[in-house]
Amino acid sequence: MFEAAALAVLLAAAMALSRALTGPSIYDRILAVNVMGTKTVTLLALIGFIYERPHFLDIAITYALINFIATIAFLRYRERGDLRI
Amino acid sequence: MKARRADNPVTETVSALLIPFMQIYALYLIAHGDLGPGGGFQGGAVFAASLVLRAIVFGLDADEERRYERLAGACASAGVLLYGGIGLLCMLRGGAFLDYKALPFADPKTAYHLGVYGIELGVGLAVAGALLLLFMKTAGSRDD
Repeated sequence: MFEAAALAVLLAAAMALSRALTGPSIYDRILAVNVMGTKTVTLLALIGFIYERPHFLDIAITYALINFIATIAFLRYRERGDLRI
Repeated sequence: MKARRADNPVTETVSALLIPFMQIYALYLIAHGDLGPGGGFQGGAVFAASLVLRAIVFGLDADEERRYERLAGACASAGVLLYGGIGLLCMLRGGAFLDYKALPFADPKTAYHLGVYGIELGVGLAVAGALLLLFMKTAGSRDD
């Protein structure tokens, strides 16, 4: 059951990756990378259930937090041309 | 926290909700380092990331910037001092470097646990301080 869900998430991540590679505008790419990050979080949680190692949930939370900051930083850089605070 | 610019309310609200959670989570990672994933380095990195997010979204004025930089440098140095201090204390009490059983506690199990805990805290302080200092030096507004 969890394996099937993991495969579906992998498929969705592959589709997001194709959009990140072909995306006409920079915002398509940023959104695709963000979606891939979300899929990674889900996949980490599923791996934790498949191998019955609940510690993977901690890693998933950490990844979700870092992924959000990366997206914000990319968009800020795109908006202003630098990251000066 | 005050907003220096008229910025996006979405990012500001989400960040204001997320930053306290990240900091508590970083402390959890540091404290749970010997039982689960994580540890000093990861906890320190998440803590520094929360402060970077705050700086990016809310901005810092020159006064805050100077304070952040001083605090980051002090944290990085204090972390190294804590790590080396615990290691050298073990040597002074007749053990090897970082030989926790030589620490002055009655029960060697307690000594081992508190020793690891102190080391993790030192690593976390050093990593958080160093990462924040790197960010301030590359993205800060002052050129010196």
